[in-house]
Amino acid sequence: MRTPAGGIAVALVALLLGVLAVSQFRSQDVYSRSLQLETPASLTSLIATLADKNSALRDEIFDLRLRVAAAGASVSTGLFSLTEGERQLAQIRVFAAQDAVAGPGISVMLDGPFDEKAMSDLVNELRNAGAEAIAINDRRVGPRSWFAPGPAGGIALDGNRLGGPWAVHAIGSSDVLYVAITRTGGIVGQFELIYRSTRFKVSKEPSLDLPPLR
Amino acid sequence: MEQAGRAPRGGATRPASSPDSQSVKGRGPWDTSGLDRPNTTQQAHLRSGLALLVPALLFGFLVAAQWQTQLERSELAVRYNAPLTEAARSLQSEQNTLKAQLADLRRQLDTIQANASTQTGVTRELQARIDDLKARAGLTPVSGDGVVIQLDDAKQTSASVKDLDKSICHATDLTDIVNAAWRGGAQAVAINEERIVGTSSVYCVGSTIMVNGTLMSPPFRIVAIGRQDQLLGAFQDPAQLRDIKQRGEVHGLGFRVSRATGLQAPEYSGALNVRAAQPR
Repeated sequence: MRTPAGGIAVALVALLLGVLAVSQFRSQDVYSRSLQLETPASLTSLIATLADKNSALRDEIFDLRLRVAAAGASVSTGLFSLTEGERQLAQIRVFAAQDAVAGPGISVMLDGPFDEKAMSDLVNELRNAGAEAIAINDRRVGPRSWFAPGPAGGIALDGNRLGGPWAVHAIGSSDVLYVAITRTGGIVGQFELIYRSTRFKVSKEPSLDLPPLR
Repeated sequence: MEQAGRAPRGGATRPASSPDSQSVKGRGPWDTSGLDRPNTTQQAHLRSGLALLVPALLFGFLVAAQWQTQLERSELAVRYNAPLTEAARSLQSEQNTLKAQLADLRRQLDTIQANASTQTGVTRELQARIDDLKARAGLTPVSGDGVVIQLDDAKQTSASVKDLDKSICHATDLTDIVNAAWRGGAQAVAINEERIVGTSSVYCVGSTIMVNGTLMSPPFRIVAIGRQDQLLGAFQDPAQLRDIKQRGEVHGLGFRVSRATGLQAPEYSGALNVRAAQPR
């Protein structure tokens, strides 16, 4: 027969157990998503990314202020030229991957087993590093592009099969793109550990020519 | 199979109590085996001891786990964390202001051009081409029917780090969902009000996610505007988002796709960042 003292002890232990279990779950939930609890290394990386994005925004604001002033002046004098409209059209055509483009950047050559998820991750990483235009095996990646497994083990981009080896070209600041992709612990380093039999070669390119979206 | 395997173990525990009852039943005036009595008392002590031991062990484990978590936190709360966190928040706040300024300047330029486009047929045609291209590039707001995808961390997380990883949202989950939406013919996609365009990226640092350079945390609401049947077909395809669906079933990751009408996807508010790429 269990004594009342023993029963109370068990109940107390069970109660504390429950309280601790709940607080442990809650603390992990908070830990996983709180900016305050990121490591200093993560915060530093986060700050660098935010600073880069803000810098790009400031550059564009500066540029746009000049264009607004010039366009306003030309309209008020009744001499509105097509220049501003044409300039805007050209910029959006590049942004929407409608035009063939040229510029500096990097090439990522992949030879060996690879898959569509990894290719999507590589494109995401290049965009995050500031790539302005991307093409894979001379097929342009567009704003609504999607990846899928291709027939016979290849990769499909927008439903079109791309057979390996793959040449991924990205236009942008070649230094920034190169460092972002090849840094220690970066995406190429991770790929090299996962796709051990695949060869990865990243190089800076002074000039790349990319086709328009088809 | 599992239940069949459990039965013998259950059977093995029961005999610990069964001999007791048998010995009580068997004890009579003719039973001179007084040796049974000390054994029964010892077993009773052992049972109550075990009843306390198991919760006590668990209690100890949880105390240790709790203490470990707090230890990690105190280590993180080093002198640099507070200013770094403040700097990140300040930059995010600055970004919001810059995006608002950019949106205002774009509106001003649109107004000037709209006024100018009434001047000649050439400017009108040019303006029409710009408007069409802007819509295709995600530079204008879009409204319409489509699907909404809800993605959230599991409400209850496991104590295991391995399971914790499977029960929370990752940047790759968002890129996979966006990929499935484009594959399903979406005309516009937005994650927590950030429009996805040709230069958009989903970036993960530590456990923080950024979309278009904006800091975000779960829950995520992904709006995909387009033909509902086609979009639902893409998300319901068993070959699509297999990992997310499995983690939803096994680890409680929140993932739900539903039809919705009158959805809104805002225009892209970030920089166009067209500098190095020149039209050929």
